[in-house]
Amino acid sequence: MQSESDLEQEMLDSKLAVKIEELSITYKINLESKRTLKNAVMRASKGQKIKTKTVEAVKNLSLEVPHGSVLGIVGSNGAGKSTLMRAIAGILPPTSGRILVNGKISTLLALGVGFNPALSGRDNIILGGLAAGLTREEIEDKTDSIIEFAALPDGFIDLPVRTYSSGMYGRVAFSVAVNMTPDILLLDEALSAGDAAFKEKSFERMRELCKEARTIIIVSHALQTVIDLCDTAIWMHKGNMLQKGKPEGLVEDYLKFLKVGLLPTALEDV
Amino acid sequence: MPKAKSVSTGGFESTFHIFEPHKAKLPPLTNYLREFWKRREFAFELARFTDKAEYLDAKLGRVWMVLNPLLLALVYFLLVSVIKGGAAVHKIGLTTLTHILIGLFTFYFAQNCINAGATSITNGGRLILNQAFPRALLPLSSSIQALQQFLPELPVYIVVVVIAKLAYPKTHTPPITWHFLWIPFIIICVGLTGFGLSLGFAVMNVYFRDTNKFLAYVTRIWLYLSPVLWLPSTLRGWHYNLLLINPLGPAIAATSDVWVDGMNLNNLEIYGSIFWAIFSIVGCGYFFISRERDFAVRI
Repeated sequence: MQSESDLEQEMLDSKLAVKIEELSITYKINLESKRTLKNAVMRASKGQKIKTKTVEAVKNLSLEVPHGSVLGIVGSNGAGKSTLMRAIAGILPPTSGRILVNGKISTLLALGVGFNPALSGRDNIILGGLAAGLTREEIEDKTDSIIEFAALPDGFIDLPVRTYSSGMYGRVAFSVAVNMTPDILLLDEALSAGDAAFKEKSFERMRELCKEARTIIIVSHALQTVIDLCDTAIWMHKGNMLQKGKPEGLVEDYLKFLKVGLLPTALEDV
Repeated sequence: MPKAKSVSTGGFESTFHIFEPHKAKLPPLTNYLREFWKRREFAFELARFTDKAEYLDAKLGRVWMVLNPLLLALVYFLLVSVIKGGAAVHKIGLTTLTHILIGLFTFYFAQNCINAGATSITNGGRLILNQAFPRALLPLSSSIQALQQFLPELPVYIVVVVIAKLAYPKTHTPPITWHFLWIPFIIICVGLTGFGLSLGFAVMNVYFRDTNKFLAYVTRIWLYLSPVLWLPSTLRGWHYNLLLINPLGPAIAATSDVWVDGMNLNNLEIYGSIFWAIFSIVGCGYFFISRERDFAVRI
C-alpha cells in the first residue's frame, strides 16, 4: 500500500495531471415517477419496496493524462462521460478504484454554475469564484479580466443575469472557468457557449492554457472541436472505454459506429 | 473531500488530490471538516447574495420579515386573551404579548434555518453538479441568512416592550441583570439546532421532493407544542420534563425566562438546549455527510 506522499511523488515524476486506476462508478436511481414522502408512506403501508435500478456508469476504467495535454471524450448519451468528469473533479467519489489528480481543478460541467438569476453578472462572478474555492480577494483581482473576456454588451455586466441571452449567460460562465488559472480545466459541453467569434476566442484561450502546461479535458458532441483542440481522445460506450488514440482516427471510427452501429472490434473487419 | 496540499509542479502552484471510495459511506472527516472551515466565506457570501437577491425588487421585504411575526404575535395575543376572558391584561399588562413575540421571533429563527436549509440542496442543483465542496455549506448558508434576519428583530422586541410598559405599567419588564448573558447562549443553541435539523431535512428533500411541503405542517404543529403561545410554567411537576422531547422546547422556555423575566436558566433549559444542539449537529450531520455522494446523482 503506497502512502500519499509516495503517490504524489510518483505523479510528479511521471508528469501526469490525472491518473485513473481501475475506476468503477455505480449508483442507484429511483424509478418512481414521483419521489414523494406521500408515495413512500403509501408504498410502505402496502409493504412494497422502492423501485430502484443500479447504474454502472463507469466500468473498470484506467487512464493517464499528462500535464499540458488536451483530452477529448466522445460517446453517445449515457456513455458515462459526464460521470467520469464529475469523478475527476471530486464531485462523485468512486465506487472502486482510485483517481489521482495533480493540480488545481476548474470545472464547467453545468452551465451557469451557482448563478443566481436575480443578481448581476458581476455579483455572480464573485459567487462563482467563491464556489470554485477562491477567496473574495482572489476573485476580485480576477473580476476585471473575467468581464473583459466575457465581452458582454455595454452595461450588461451590472444587470441581473435573468436579462441575459443564453449565449451571454454561457460566456460569463465560461469566462469564470478559464480565468481561474486552473492547472486542470474540465469542460462538459461548454464550448457551445456564445457566437462564432467567442468560440474562436475560447479556442485561443485554451491553446494559451496548453502552452502554459495546463491540462484540459473536454466532453463534446461537436466532433470537429475534438479534432481541432485535442491531442488525444477516448471513446466511451456504456461505461467502458472502447478506444483511445489520436482524435482524427477515433472520431472516424465513432462516426462509423453512429452510422452503422458497429463497435471498434467489428469495425476492424469492415 | 479531496486530500489536498500545495506542491510545486512545473512552475505553478499546485495541489494533489486522491479520490477513493468512501469508507462506511463517509468521506475522510478530518479533510471534510478542514475544507468546510476553509470555505466558510463561501457560505457567508452566499447568504449575503441570496438575501440581496430576495429583497432586490422588494424593498419592503425586510420590513415584512419583522412585521409578519409582529402581526402574528398580536393575533395570537388577542386569541389567548379572549380564551382567558381578557382578565390577564389587568393583572400583568401586555406580558403575554411580549412573551409570545420573543417566542415567535426565536421560533421563526429556527424555522427559517430549517425551511431554507431543507431546500438548499435541491435548489443548489447546478452548483452541486459542477463543484466539489462540502455540501453542508449550503444549509449553513441558509442558517446564516436566517440569523441575519433574526438579529434585527431583537431591537424591535425591545421597542415593543418599552411601548407596552408605557401603555400598561403592569407589563413585566426584566431588571438589568447578568442573566442577560444567557442570550448569546440561547441564540447559539437555537441556531445550531436549526442548522443541524436542516441537514436532516435537506437529505429528506433530496429523496422525497414534497418534504418542504410536509415541513410547513410540521413546523405549525411544532409551534403550538413549543412554549410560545403558553408559558413554560404551565407545565408543572414532572410534566415540565416534557419540554425535553421538543428539540426547541428548552431553548424557547429559556428565551421567555431571560427576555421577559430576567431569570436565571434552570438545568433543564441549559442542558436540554445543549443536548439538542449537539444531537442535531452530530446526528443529522452524520446522516447528511453519509448521503452526500447521492446528491450528485439524485438532483
